[in-house]
Amino acid sequence: MTPRLPWDRPDRRLVNVAWASAVALLAIGALLAGQTELGYRSQAQRQAEVQADILAASVSAALAFDDRTAMREYLDALRVNRRLAAAAIYDASGQAVVVFHRSGAAAPPTHIDVLSSRFSHRHVTVTRPVAEQGQRLGAVYLETLPEPWTTVLARHASLALLTVLAFLLLGVVTAAASQLQARARLLAEANDRLREEMAARGTAEEALRQSQKMEALGQLTGGIAHDFNNLLQVVHGAFELIRRKADDTAKVAAWAQNGIAAAERGASLTRQLLAFSRSQKLELRPFVVADLIGEMRELLVRTLGPDIKLSVELEEGQALVMSDRTQLELAVLNLAINARDAMPAGGGLTLRTGLHSQPPGDPVLEAGEYVELSVADTGEGMSRQVVERAFDPFFTTKGIGKGTGLGLSQVYGVARQAGGAAQIDSEPGRGTVVRLLLRRSTAAAELAPARGERPPILAPAAGRTILVVDDEAPVRVLAGETLELLGYRVLQAESGAAALALLEREVPDVMLFDYAMPDMNGAELAGLVRARLPDAPIIFASGHADTAAVEAALGGQPTILRKPFNMETLARTIAELLS
Amino acid sequence: MALAAVLAETSQASAGEASLELAVKATYLYKLAPFVNWPPEAYASAAAPLVICVQGADPFGQVLDRAVSGQVVGSHPVTVKRLPRIDAESGCHIAYLAGGPAQSQTQALQAVDGQPVLTVTDEARGGGARGIVHLLLAGGKVRFSIDARQAEAGGVTISSKLLALAVAVKR
Repeated sequence: MTPRLPWDRPDRRLVNVAWASAVALLAIGALLAGQTELGYRSQAQRQAEVQADILAASVSAALAFDDRTAMREYLDALRVNRRLAAAAIYDASGQAVVVFHRSGAAAPPTHIDVLSSRFSHRHVTVTRPVAEQGQRLGAVYLETLPEPWTTVLARHASLALLTVLAFLLLGVVTAAASQLQARARLLAEANDRLREEMAARGTAEEALRQSQKMEALGQLTGGIAHDFNNLLQVVHGAFELIRRKADDTAKVAAWAQNGIAAAERGASLTRQLLAFSRSQKLELRPFVVADLIGEMRELLVRTLGPDIKLSVELEEGQALVMSDRTQLELAVLNLAINARDAMPAGGGLTLRTGLHSQPPGDPVLEAGEYVELSVADTGEGMSRQVVERAFDPFFTTKGIGKGTGLGLSQVYGVARQAGGAAQIDSEPGRGTVVRLLLRRSTAAAELAPARGERPPILAPAAGRTILVVDDEAPVRVLAGETLELLGYRVLQAESGAAALALLEREVPDVMLFDYAMPDMNGAELAGLVRARLPDAPIIFASGHADTAAVEAALGGQPTILRKPFNMETLARTIAELLS
Repeated sequence: MALAAVLAETSQASAGEASLELAVKATYLYKLAPFVNWPPEAYASAAAPLVICVQGADPFGQVLDRAVSGQVVGSHPVTVKRLPRIDAESGCHIAYLAGGPAQSQTQALQAVDGQPVLTVTDEARGGGARGIVHLLLAGGKVRFSIDARQAEAGGVTISSKLLALAVAVKR
């Protein structure tokens, strides 16, 4: 994996800029040095020229009247200038009249033809005219000693020092930048590793949640199966009675009502089971905890069994928390199962919701408003050691095969996810209270799906044809008869192929497809039908857990009837489609 | 005979020295000019010549003409006038007073007294007259003394450079 360094390039650009400015600095330095040198030279030349001019003016009369003694005196006066190497005075014909040079310095030329002034080899040579009122009398010659290297160096030392310092600084900057870059690379790599680990951990957590769910489901199954048996017993008994005494219409109606009520309870139980088993991602949404507990009441009663008395005390302020609804339901269920297992001889379970105001200073909880959900049992309680480890994953006091030790860790996870904490109060023999503190949310609650029955909108059924496709004959026949009872004409097909054959002959007004069928499922069938009849109204009946998967398979927003459905729901759905 | 030969030699040698001395003096006449300032009215115009007068018996002859030929002082070309006698109207800037039958050195001096004329007398010519510049021999070289007071009286200014070179300055 290439380490991503978002500031790698600008960083390098900075270093480049630093180098560019160093080079510019060097260039400017060289320029300045050159300018200084040129300035110095012209100044040195100028100085020598001025001195030569002064000499020329002084010696003009002496030269005019050939007074060598006077000229010699003038030249000797120049000796005090230690920087002077040689000097000479020439007559109008260019012939040297008086010369002077220091030992070690070259003698001035004995004859000069042209005047000149130049700086070469660190010294100045100047010849200037001697003239008086336009009358050329001769010339003077001056030569300075070569400038010592130390002076030259001293002149450029500050600039050189600055340049060296600039490069030193640049070196430091570059080194620091490369060090930073190396560190950034290490950081990026560490970040990548961390990200991979987080992804792996996410996957593991997903798996953990799923296994927690499955464990809870396993725990539920025993109790639910028993309940289901009882419900089936009621339904079965009702039909038995109806078959034997079909003529007693008054009693038949009452028995049928009993049977329907039992079936509805069973439906509500399976709905909740399906909701749990759905493999879905965490969805944090605001909801009212009290409502959730109220809705779970039925399931909890079934889970706890007849020996445990459930009491529920709910806060009425509609306090919201931000959490995953299913996960919190699962947590409550886990706590109920734990409580049930802690009370083999029966007892009481109290579910309570309330508000909790947390003052600042707690190591775990931030200060603020919380919704407290407590689950208290009258069971055997836990020892201190067990309480301390109770939230650890895979810690269990239950026998092999009875629990994975994931239940309470799931409870703890939910509480933390909702920005809160979970606490256990327990002592052996004094029962257990598990408190979930969930951070109160100020977001608006998600609108719960309307539970009230909508008034049926019934379009006239007469003359309308419905095609029912289901591979299971009892379900298909029941649906067909129900629809006929409502006044529709019903066509039936036991497979997708049969349905397509039937469609060759007749086009129905509405089609009701079972989703899960062998060979060709409802979605595939719908695809083929829609290829011919793009606007055909199709209803899907599905007992499948995952609505999202069905929706994804069907595309768009298909009309779905969740199995088991009652007659009224079927009638309303079809009527709505027809109108 | 021998004496005559010696005399002849001596006279030849002294004649050579004398001619060199004269040549030097001839150049001195115009070389003095750049170191001297005349009042503006001494020149008729900016391009008016600087006149060197030789009063009386001219000792230089062609030597002076050759020396002066082409010389310019400031904007003034140098010319030579030979006059038996000079006065304020002679238009001389520099006057070499040799003296002659028409006018002695002293008379000539008096004639231009108080005028802007740089009078030059020569020790070699004899006579007691002394102009502003008095040429003389010192250490085998032609040198001069200067009478600054006389120069000032005539309105002629002499450069300090020249004064510094003089063997004597009368103030």
